[in-house]
Amino acid sequence: MFDINTAIGHWPFRRLPRRTAGELRQYLQSYGVKGAAVASTPALFYMNSQDANLELAEEIAPHRDFFVGVATLNPGYAAAVRDLDTCVEKLGFRALRLSPCYHNYNLADGTADALLTRAGELGIPVLLPNEIVNFRQKHWMEPNQPLGMESVLAICARFPQVTFIGTEGGYNLSMTAPPNLCLEMSRYYSCYGQALADMVRKLGSEQILFGSGAPFKEIEPSLLKLHHCQIPDAQKELIAGGNARRLLGL
Amino acid sequence: MQTALPQELAAIDAHNHVRAGADGNLDVGRAEALLQGCSRLGIDRIAVSVPYTDSVVAPERYRAGNEVVWQAMQHSPRFIGFCFVDAHDPAAALAEIEHCIVERNMAGVKLYHQFFVDADEQRPVMEKAASLGVPVLMHAGKCTDPATMAAQPRLSNAGHFRVALEKYPETILIQGHIGGGGDWEWNLRTLEGIDSDNYYIDLSGSVIDAGIVRRSVDTVGCERLLFATDGSLEEGVGKLLAAGLSMREMRLICHDNFARIMARRKV
Repeated sequence: MFDINTAIGHWPFRRLPRRTAGELRQYLQSYGVKGAAVASTPALFYMNSQDANLELAEEIAPHRDFFVGVATLNPGYAAAVRDLDTCVEKLGFRALRLSPCYHNYNLADGTADALLTRAGELGIPVLLPNEIVNFRQKHWMEPNQPLGMESVLAICARFPQVTFIGTEGGYNLSMTAPPNLCLEMSRYYSCYGQALADMVRKLGSEQILFGSGAPFKEIEPSLLKLHHCQIPDAQKELIAGGNARRLLGL
Repeated sequence: MQTALPQELAAIDAHNHVRAGADGNLDVGRAEALLQGCSRLGIDRIAVSVPYTDSVVAPERYRAGNEVVWQAMQHSPRFIGFCFVDAHDPAAALAEIEHCIVERNMAGVKLYHQFFVDADEQRPVMEKAASLGVPVLMHAGKCTDPATMAAQPRLSNAGHFRVALEKYPETILIQGHIGGGGDWEWNLRTLEGIDSDNYYIDLSGSVIDAGIVRRSVDTVGCERLLFATDGSLEEGVGKLLAAGLSMREMRLICHDNFARIMARRKV
């Protein structure tokens, strides 16, 4: 089992449990998770996100057998492309996370183009969270609405050489299924209508990834969704960890 | 890891919904999917309603919705009916409550956001529910995003419930979905110290923030909480399992509290 959607660090708007790498690792392992992609929560708020990535690298250094670092960068800030190179080549990170809502740009306005081009050259996937916490409980300093899957689909079309991972929901079966779009599954149902299984059939089992959203969210719902998803065991194994390990080059 | 609630709990989902199909009758396929999903997760019975989100709902519309609830009750004894009304037309609302509760054995009244729970306009409905000894389950939340605030200007929060408890002291109130979206911490802080046998809050909703159930237990006590999903089945079961509650606490939340409310029925 590999969790593609975790984070560490302080969240300014609510007290989170398990904010350190050690605490999060212990928690995930208690549920049978063998590894996780982890991003820095403070990187959403620092003007210079790279400092948060450096902090993340230090924090997970004793846990490199478990955590894979995800660089969170603001493409509108100075040296973002150079920072991505540093994250991948020196810090050993294996994915990029973009959060246009928190870094105040639009995926369609070209701000992220150079960074996405570089991510494609480096062959790393790009995580696009639809939201960090549910937007209906937003702090007044937070964005007013989620990212929205339309902008994700549009960026998939503009950057076909980049693999995108949509996290925290937003997709529905009426939407197109670009070959370079993967989805983290924590927001899709299994027991009431088998939406997750339908999504597996539409996008392919290679494009759905297990994720929990820890430490923001409880992990149990995601585990229940995977357990009760009515698909063959081989497909479940891909979703549980095989796909994430392939995309991250593990 | 547990993959379902223990069968011995005979868990009751206190807040869920059925829908009409294209022909206006119960969408049987969807109702069956709900029953099957609940079975997978160890949920025994399901309280269902058909609410309407318009600012004013004509009686003929909610009568049609309540007919769908009645069809669900006939489809499976696992469905427990709640009747939806809008207090804009008090006479029609009271007649529908009488019809659904007394003649059709529905278990409670469901309100949405046509008025705040503590509004004067709710008085006839609140007093009618009290006279029948059935609860009023109300859509609720403390949403802070502009879109929801604009769309639901009369969305009740915990503050409204505290006022309503004083204003309608004989009425059993169920505050809907602590995890239904919105600042649940604000709601819990507002509920600190609440001590009324007429107040309950259900745990439903898609929000599964870490610690939400434990914080709810610590704030209002497990005697005031009702297990529910509002359609988010894995979320409802998963966040409850995550709380690490004792079997006694689980039993109260999943079954006994709801049963205690039902035992107060007067008709």
